[in-house]
Amino acid sequence: MYNKKMVSCVLGVMCFALTLGICVQMRTVQETNQTVSNNRQENNLRAEVLRYKERYENRSRDVERAEADLEKERQNSIQNNSALQEKEEQIQQGNKIIGLAEVKGPGIKITLKDNKKDIKNALNPSDLVVHDEDILSVINELRNAGAEAISINGQRIVPTTGIICGGNIIDINREKVGVPFVIEAIGLPEQLAALERPYGYLDILKGYGIEVKLERSNNITIPKYNGTLTYNYAKTIK
Amino acid sequence: MKKDIKKGKITMTITIGIACFCLVLVMFMQFKIVNETDITSIENMKEAELRTELANWKSKYEEADQAYQETQAKIQEYKETKQSNEETEKVVNSELEQINLSLGTTDVEGQGIEIIVRDSEDAEKIKAADLLLIVNSLKLSGAEAISINDNRIINTSDIVDIGNEFIKVNGERILAPYFIKAIGDPAYLESGLIGNGGYVDTMRKIGQDVTINKSNKLKVSKYNNEIKTKYIQ
Repeated sequence: MYNKKMVSCVLGVMCFALTLGICVQMRTVQETNQTVSNNRQENNLRAEVLRYKERYENRSRDVERAEADLEKERQNSIQNNSALQEKEEQIQQGNKIIGLAEVKGPGIKITLKDNKKDIKNALNPSDLVVHDEDILSVINELRNAGAEAISINGQRIVPTTGIICGGNIIDINREKVGVPFVIEAIGLPEQLAALERPYGYLDILKGYGIEVKLERSNNITIPKYNGTLTYNYAKTIK
Repeated sequence: MKKDIKKGKITMTITIGIACFCLVLVMFMQFKIVNETDITSIENMKEAELRTELANWKSKYEEADQAYQETQAKIQEYKETKQSNEETEKVVNSELEQINLSLGTTDVEGQGIEIIVRDSEDAEKIKAADLLLIVNSLKLSGAEAISINDNRIINTSDIVDIGNEFIKVNGERILAPYFIKAIGDPAYLESGLIGNGGYVDTMRKIGQDVTINKSNKLKVSKYNNEIKTKYIQ
């Protein structure tokens, strides 16, 4: 008899806990995932965003085509001039360094994921997520280790790239990227892998429980920057 | 009688088991939905976010459009100069000049700001991370060329602490005070730093000594080494 009561009690508590869990989840989903908003203004804005995104994408394709044409035209024009051909090579090489051309080579791939395990007993939950400063520091260490080209979730780092944290997403080259963060870098893999050293930044992140994975590869491809570098203030001094 | 009780018990256990299983299943499904909700997609954005997103795509479109016009103009120039070597050289040179500006291998001048950061007695010593965050803020505000104590910040530049003694930029040792020069819209560059939550604002609040001067004609010197690459192809 006593046993039966116990079992009922345990089962009751379990059911209660499960139902509670489901209710909490339902609420979260409702709050975060309002796919269909009834707000007309928001829908208009959304349509406007999509329209500009499309226009931008079309324009980007135009730019790509135009750049290919330009390349052809340039080759055509300098065919018989070795001095100019040398300059043309400098242009090509320069584009690879500043990020306006796709590059391949050996290197490493780092994956960073937020700590999901300790979120309940953390004093400061902010310690458990990856911030813009973390990404900035990792990139700085990669450069220190001789990285020649870097991308984050497919966004090429160019001379004007800034990184900003907006809530739980990070803004790179004015594009939003979310976790997991995949940072790829080209350089000597052994040297780049030194980022894993004790007391290095990755080690510190691991200490906070951030999931860090570093893989070496002989075959990393880093895409070109999908924006443009424009200069309206800086003038070259001749 | 005894058998009946046993049978009832088994049915009940099975029923409860199934109920629990269903509940757990539903929970996992929910977990998955929450996990898969893409917070970067515009379906889940609110009005304010949508407005910034719209401004963002608009300016990206305008930039792409500008690039398109420029490239077309260059193509036109090449076409027109086909006959003359001299003219072609001019066009190639101007293209190369543009690349060198991005690379940081030429001296440049223009409007901008100079930030002077001094080690202050009543605050912590300036670290590489402070300079890194200032540079990041400047880039976010559209800086076109940046240098720290006349070391040009290029795409591969690093800023690191060497022990507690000094900071290295591009492998060159630098000492306080730090002079950070940036070319761009002076008002915009400054407001990114001293606006609410800006990094210089934060530094000043903890007692660090930072001065910002706007200038109409600032010179940022070139990267003073050769840029070498070995691994990118």
